[in-house]
Amino acid sequence: MISTILLLGTVLATVTGRLGDAAGTVRQQLLLPIGQALDRLLAPIDRGLEPAANAYNRSLGRYFGTMSGLQFALIVGSVVALLTAGVWAPMVGPLVGGGLLRTLALASIWAIFAMSWDIQSGYTGYISFGHSVLSGAAGYTTALLIVHVDPGLSIWVTASVSVLAALVVGLLVALPTLRLEGPYFSLITFVAVLLFYRLTTAFSSLGGIPGFGQPDVFTWDPVMRYYYMAIPMLLIALGLTFMARSNLGMILVAIRENESAVSAAGINPTKFKIWSFALSSIPMGIGGVLLVGFTGNVDPDTFVIVDNSIEMIAMAVIGGMSSILGPLGGAFLFEFLNHQLFHGYSTPVRYLFLWGLVLLVLVFARDGLFRMIWHRLGAVGGESE
Amino acid sequence: MSVLEVDGLTKRFGGLVAVDDFSLDIEEGEIVGLIGPNGSGKSTVFNCIMGSYDVTEGSIRFNGDDITADSTHEIVTKGLSRVSQESNPIDLYSVGGNIKLFTLPNSIRSLHGGASDEEIYEYAARIDIEDKLEEMPDELPHADVRRLEIAKALATEPDMLLLDEPFAGMNQAEISELSAQIERFRENGMTMVVVDHNMGGLMELVDRVVVLNNGDFLASGSPEEIAENEHVQEAYLAGEGL
Amino acid sequence: MLGDIGTLVLQGTMISAVYALIAIGFTMIFGVGGTLNLAHGALIMGGAYVFALLSRSVHAAVAFPVTIAVIALLSWGLYQVLVRWVEENVVITFLATVVVAIASTEFVLYQFGGSPIGMTLISGAVNLEPYGINARTRYVQFVGFVVSWLAIGLLWYYITHTDDGRSVLAASMSERGAQLTGVDLHAVRSKTWLIAGALAGTAGVILGSTGGATPLMWLNPLALAFIIVVIGGIGSIKGSVIAAYVIGFLEQFTVTFVGHGFRGILSLVVLVVFLLYMPQGLYGREFAHD
Repeated sequence: MISTILLLGTVLATVTGRLGDAAGTVRQQLLLPIGQALDRLLAPIDRGLEPAANAYNRSLGRYFGTMSGLQFALIVGSVVALLTAGVWAPMVGPLVGGGLLRTLALASIWAIFAMSWDIQSGYTGYISFGHSVLSGAAGYTTALLIVHVDPGLSIWVTASVSVLAALVVGLLVALPTLRLEGPYFSLITFVAVLLFYRLTTAFSSLGGIPGFGQPDVFTWDPVMRYYYMAIPMLLIALGLTFMARSNLGMILVAIRENESAVSAAGINPTKFKIWSFALSSIPMGIGGVLLVGFTGNVDPDTFVIVDNSIEMIAMAVIGGMSSILGPLGGAFLFEFLNHQLFHGYSTPVRYLFLWGLVLLVLVFARDGLFRMIWHRLGAVGGESE
Repeated sequence: MSVLEVDGLTKRFGGLVAVDDFSLDIEEGEIVGLIGPNGSGKSTVFNCIMGSYDVTEGSIRFNGDDITADSTHEIVTKGLSRVSQESNPIDLYSVGGNIKLFTLPNSIRSLHGGASDEEIYEYAARIDIEDKLEEMPDELPHADVRRLEIAKALATEPDMLLLDEPFAGMNQAEISELSAQIERFRENGMTMVVVDHNMGGLMELVDRVVVLNNGDFLASGSPEEIAENEHVQEAYLAGEGL
Repeated sequence: MLGDIGTLVLQGTMISAVYALIAIGFTMIFGVGGTLNLAHGALIMGGAYVFALLSRSVHAAVAFPVTIAVIALLSWGLYQVLVRWVEENVVITFLATVVVAIASTEFVLYQFGGSPIGMTLISGAVNLEPYGINARTRYVQFVGFVVSWLAIGLLWYYITHTDDGRSVLAASMSERGAQLTGVDLHAVRSKTWLIAGALAGTAGVILGSTGGATPLMWLNPLALAFIIVVIGGIGSIKGSVIAAYVIGFLEQFTVTFVGHGFRGILSLVVLVVFLLYMPQGLYGREFAHD
């Protein structure tokens, strides 16, 4: 077994050099002609959609980013599909393994996590490896409120307090660590999530390994449940995109690209780094609350385990970091593969496939799949980006 | 009143003394040249003034305000900006975008503040790159990248500019052009300290010269006086030559 | 009470050596390449499982060095196949190594299941009560301690007395400087990953022999290694050793006198204190701005 891996490894190392050449040839002979054919096909559609896209560009473009005709179509199409999923998913579901609405609901929650991670880590480049501490804080706060304070508490009360808890935890992590340069921050966040996991599994007052079963799900109806998850997700996407395309986003990206330039511009980088983390904590808290409403259970393996933090990152990276909408797409793709396409396999095998995919994207398409698609669509009209 | 007062500035890196008891007073509207052989501590002085390094001893006052312990962004907000030696534009943004970043307010609540497109054009025009606003920094010739650095500093609306090797890598024609532009800044009320190795360009531009050698103050005077100063000549010959 | 303190000192001394081993491997890779190798934990786990498998067919004394060699090669291979292509990008390298670590856990889970796997390095224990220490310490723990220090000693000798090793040290202090004196950075990095792998494998065998091998066994040691490396100073071997002992003793203290559930909390507090007042650690480089 090990020897096979070693052999493979050595072979791969030798071959990877050749692989680079092979990739170049494939690009030339195969992909380029396909690309050109696609361009010819899509260009008229792009032109046809231009009036609509330009109308949007003129009115909302400066707040959410400008788009070409095809890009506009992609966004509008996706939003419409998400809003009408209650109608078409039950019909399409059985074709792709069943339970599609459940997957979409779960994907919405993960999309919130991935987008929240992105506005902080993707944009500033200070990678948090423990973001599930935030959603976990919210989830556990909800559970503790229901168990210790009043089982009948309104969702609005528990949700508000839980989101606040996520924000507080976020600030507790951010304030001492974001003054430091990248690697330290990332290490600390990793330690934080491991520690939180240890705390929740070790202490029965925090539920221990089984966690708390007392919280209720929002609803057992799959359609309603989906909308309970998807609507907040879309609103959060709107909000975060707005923030990301504003000057805030520009500063955060500048922090990632050249932090000393930000200082030289008279802007306090530490303040903005902390603000991005706080800004990220709020939707993470909301996502945590939604997850409680989805599972009806708050336990360490669903909420805190470090794998969750890494999954969020994987989704964002697959989709395309630093774009908000990329991670949204990445989350849906990841969950679709996980629960629909790879449905038949056991959990470890599913995840092996998924992590393998992530590694491939990291090495060969590190800007993200959805970003690639977005740029490809934008280039159809023949203009540069 | 002096715009910038550096008093007894000392900077030690472990056992190495990079700057030793250096003092400097800059009056409003002056252009002062800071020269010295390689390794004399000129960039260190700038780094200490701008808060990039912590000062070991001494104090720095800007417009009467003690900025010795201030962080870089605070100093910039108070009106003192630097054009650094290395050009470090943000490659993801266009020239206009790079300038825009430097106009953004230091406020988390301001989502769409900062300069208007006209104002950004103005900043670029003051240093003659207004026709390059849409281009990306990696497409620019070297001289224009340096200009972009200056435009960025100008966009912070400073009262005083520290220019670290503005002429580096430029040919004679470019140096004359840039020199003339820098002179125009002074006409608009800007005080400046310029560090450079290119003596020809520098001597024409500045009102007086301060010489650093091995972290110590060596001499100060008019460009003509300094050019004839024997100690200065020796220091340079031991280093790299005038 | 005295017996407990005796136990604490004994256990602390022994386990800290293993922590030091883990931390050193991690800090070397960072010092030389600027890479944070989160797959280091997976290599530790690999060491435990490989040894468990091998020791079923060959004698432990043979299986041990073979395991070390295998893990060293795996680590070297990881660098050649994956990390080398992404190492200029810190973020991508993080993610890639984390994903490798988690994928390894899934793989191990798939192959071996989740229950702990036992292995024997050396059996038997010695009763220390006659000596006033409240413990029956197993021989394997002593062996672990000796081997760890042997490894640290060998590494120290290598880095200070051989040209090969000195080039590794030089590269960790200044990449540019090392290159200018003719050091082949790629070769140095490959060697570093090889060495780190050997250290991780050793630690894995020791941890596996003392506590059994599980798919998640690497999480806690890695977390502690992070804390140790930050406190000791990223890139410093001396710092790692000293910090390992600080943390090792702190952990033992917590377990003995406070309670098992509180493990890690005290170490975290120390970490936060260091972050706030001495972020470069005891012997590391400057990493903070105001």
